[in-house]
Amino acid sequence: MNTTLASRVELLQGTLDLLILRTLRLGRAHGHAIAKHIQRTSEELLQVETGSLYPALHRLEARGWIAAAWELAETGKRAKYYRLTPKGRKQLLAEQTKWATFSRAMGLVLSPLDEEPV
Amino acid sequence: MTRILRKLRWVTRRGGKEAELQEELQFHLREEAREAEDAGLTAEQARWAARRELGNVALLMEDTRAIWGWASLERFWRDLRYAMRMLRRNPGFASAAVLSLGLGIGANTAIFSLLDAVVLRTLPVASPRQLVQFTNTLPLWDTGSRNANSLFAYPQLERFQAQSKTMSGIFAGTGLGRLVVGFHGTSGLADGDACTGNFFSVLGIAPQYGRFFQAGEDRARATVAVIGDRYWRDRFGADPAIIGAAITINQIPFTVIGVTPREFLGISVGNGPDIWVPLHALDRLAPDSKRWTDPFSSWMLIAGRLGPGVSREQAQAELDVIRRQVLAERLSASELGGMENVRHFVRDGHLALRPAATGVSSGLRDRYALPLKLLMWVAGIVLLVASANIANLLLARASSRRREIAVRLALGASRGRLIRQVLTESMVLALAGGALAVPLAWWGGWLLVRMISTGDSPVPLAVAPDLRVFAFTAAMSLLTGILFGLAPALRGTRVDPGPAMKEGTHHAGRRSCTLDQILVVAQVALSVVLITGAGLFVRTLQKLWNVNMGYDRENVLMLSVDARLAGYPSDRAGAVYGEILEKLRTLPGVQSASASVVRPVEDQFHLVDRVDQVDGFTLPGRYAIRVEWNSTSPGYFSTVSTPLLAGRDFEARDNQTAPKVIVINASLARTAFPNRNPLGHKLGEATVVGLVKDARLNGAREQPGPVLYYPLLQHGPEQEYRWGFVSFELRYGAGAGLLDAVRRAVASVDPNLPIFQARTLRAEAEQSLLKERLLATLSSFFGALALLLACVGLYGLMACTVARRTAEIGIRLALGARCGHIIWLVLRETLWLTLAGLAAGIPLALWAARYAKSDLFEISPADPLTMAATVAALTGVAMLAGYIPARRALRIDPVMAVRYE
Repeated sequence: MNTTLASRVELLQGTLDLLILRTLRLGRAHGHAIAKHIQRTSEELLQVETGSLYPALHRLEARGWIAAAWELAETGKRAKYYRLTPKGRKQLLAEQTKWATFSRAMGLVLSPLDEEPV
Repeated sequence: MTRILRKLRWVTRRGGKEAELQEELQFHLREEAREAEDAGLTAEQARWAARRELGNVALLMEDTRAIWGWASLERFWRDLRYAMRMLRRNPGFASAAVLSLGLGIGANTAIFSLLDAVVLRTLPVASPRQLVQFTNTLPLWDTGSRNANSLFAYPQLERFQAQSKTMSGIFAGTGLGRLVVGFHGTSGLADGDACTGNFFSVLGIAPQYGRFFQAGEDRARATVAVIGDRYWRDRFGADPAIIGAAITINQIPFTVIGVTPREFLGISVGNGPDIWVPLHALDRLAPDSKRWTDPFSSWMLIAGRLGPGVSREQAQAELDVIRRQVLAERLSASELGGMENVRHFVRDGHLALRPAATGVSSGLRDRYALPLKLLMWVAGIVLLVASANIANLLLARASSRRREIAVRLALGASRGRLIRQVLTESMVLALAGGALAVPLAWWGGWLLVRMISTGDSPVPLAVAPDLRVFAFTAAMSLLTGILFGLAPALRGTRVDPGPAMKEGTHHAGRRSCTLDQILVVAQVALSVVLITGAGLFVRTLQKLWNVNMGYDRENVLMLSVDARLAGYPSDRAGAVYGEILEKLRTLPGVQSASASVVRPVEDQFHLVDRVDQVDGFTLPGRYAIRVEWNSTSPGYFSTVSTPLLAGRDFEARDNQTAPKVIVINASLARTAFPNRNPLGHKLGEATVVGLVKDARLNGAREQPGPVLYYPLLQHGPEQEYRWGFVSFELRYGAGAGLLDAVRRAVASVDPNLPIFQARTLRAEAEQSLLKERLLATLSSFFGALALLLACVGLYGLMACTVARRTAEIGIRLALGARCGHIIWLVLRETLWLTLAGLAAGIPLALWAARYAKSDLFEISPADPLTMAATVAALTGVAMLAGYIPARRALRIDPVMAVRYE
């Protein structure tokens, strides 16, 4: 596989994966609900592309971090509900720590800019 | 591991997964729409908003599928099924493509397998690269053009073996020719070799059954024999119990001790003996007191294995010194020391080592290496032409699929994905062609071996396709698949979806034809090369056949009989032959009969001697006349119709007690007795009694040289019928059933007398031109095939052009254009393409023909007649190919055509 493509996709996916895992910590949800939740809690700053959401869900499922089951939704239709597996819980913890470190580091590097004269 | 299992499970459950994903996305859409509706949009608006938000569904599904598992494998599988479906829907196209590819690849494989067997393949022995063959390079004036020979005397071998430090083993061998092998009371002919005891161990091969010669077994009273795998199967039914069995070789008892491995066919290509005996068994098979001591005879082939780390040059330097030492020593002690040419041979000759990884020198290889390489090129070009056709067909199909491809691009398929799919289709075609090629190649290889076999049985060659050949076929198929698939794949997918979808289906034919035109021009150019080549080879064959040979090849039957093989001692052989000749002369339908040692046309051997006494004067060594000689019975010249120019033929009175007489040919008369009547003069002790016209005994290519004829009745007993067999020639009026009558006549003298090589003089003459015939036949076949393929290509292109210009032609017709004008419109383009092909092809053909020069005869590689014929044939057939679409153009209905626009 092309390496530049791989790193780009990896970066995007990594973030989305973390968001999905975090959302599912609150309980099981179907794809649409996950997308809406991320949008709402991020105050609409993060727009989840459906085009990447479903591939991401299937990827996480393939890795065994989340599991899926078909259940009846509130509307009475069959929906695919995802939930976090114990393995996914562990992964979420690791990802969260990594993200915290990363964002702290980014913050440290970026903050001195404010002090410079305009 | 579990991951792989899971993926596998997914692959098997793919159908279900697909439906689930669909349902999941449907649910998403509904939720989205419901939300939008809640926000105040109408149901219709909400549904569209949801669709927009979801984006490219096909792409999304594709991305998701990619995550499920072995996507590439699965995609390939799907492409494969799609390709199969497309091909099934176009059975005409598919079968034409597979057939032409199968033919093309099959022809290539067949010729490659023969080329491999004859030229390329290394011997199936241990480390073949270490093998070398010893050769003498001789001073030029001694031997004419053949300034190397590979034959040595025994004393040299002994010294090489004793003194060489650079070689890890040196062995020698000699052919025994035709043998009669008896087993359990039945006898049959076999081909044998005698070799030193270390032959098999130096080669490093292991017996299939039994054992090979051991140290000390190569001695005068040796009774051991090794048989070849093929002979073992044919003669002894592959019975392992043959080990230890008693057989007789020329009535002398031997014991079979081993069978060679199946792949071992001797060390000289096309010359695989049936049976090997130790070298010193020659003392029992063909006693010759001087054989082991004469240092200047040449009868043995020597080869060996270089020591580890020794280069060929090092070994050659060492062995050359040994050769010179042993010859110089022997020369001083020999009565030959006074002969100038022998001194010259010792002083100026050298020993050279020839790489023998692919076997020692072989007449078959010398004859066929170049023709086979030429044919390999020819077959390769045919495959190229065939590929170009398929590329053109695929191009045409790709353009009719523009809309389909545009739709798929619009739906989010990537271009790489589509290219892969189109390529899969061409690969399926190519591999199907390759699969068809395998049996064709098998059959073709067998056919080719039959074609080049001159003897009573096929040349022993391993041409059955092996791994190498299969690898070649597979590589060939893949290569052609990519070759003809890539251009259509690249161009077919370069589509702008918007405009392409707006076009009506009837516009599908509209496209630029540049690439197609280039392909067709290339096809024509390559066809020019092949047809020119075919023309040159056919003309060569014709010219060779029409050479005045100096004998008449019609209505003469020849057969050889060997009395020695039936157990007659040499001194009684003459009487047997005389008796046979008398019986043959009285057979009904036979006009005349004769006997000779050498046949008028002979690919096996010819006899050479030197005449150095003319009318009692001795010629100095350098001026001795090199003659070929033959021993003939009375009636030989009239039987083969070689005209007697002066004097008389031999008669019955020229027997052993009569004064010695000879007949000479015109060349010898000119050389020995310039401007004199040779009759009555003497060469050596014999008096010239007859003068005959020159006959080309060495084939049509060679100018006749001096030939001397001895009377068989006088000379044969003197030579004690050294070669054992003689050939009989019969001129017949009616040939039907003659051979059976001949067999009965010979059997009435002695039923044990073996008859071999019974064939007509005409057949033998045809066989002597076998190589030329092979080249002419195959190149004509391939040339015609290429021409046909090129014309199909041309036809396809012109048909496409007519379709493209339907509207234009319609308007022209509507405006009153004449039929001739419209036809010319199409033919003009055909003509241009053909001329472009000719312009490119003729220089190419001229350039290529130079490589075939040594296989041509009395014809220049740039033969104007051949060129003219090629141009005429190609243009004619091309015009025909263009005329059919042109006729179709006339049938265009102007109203319909104009309405298209």
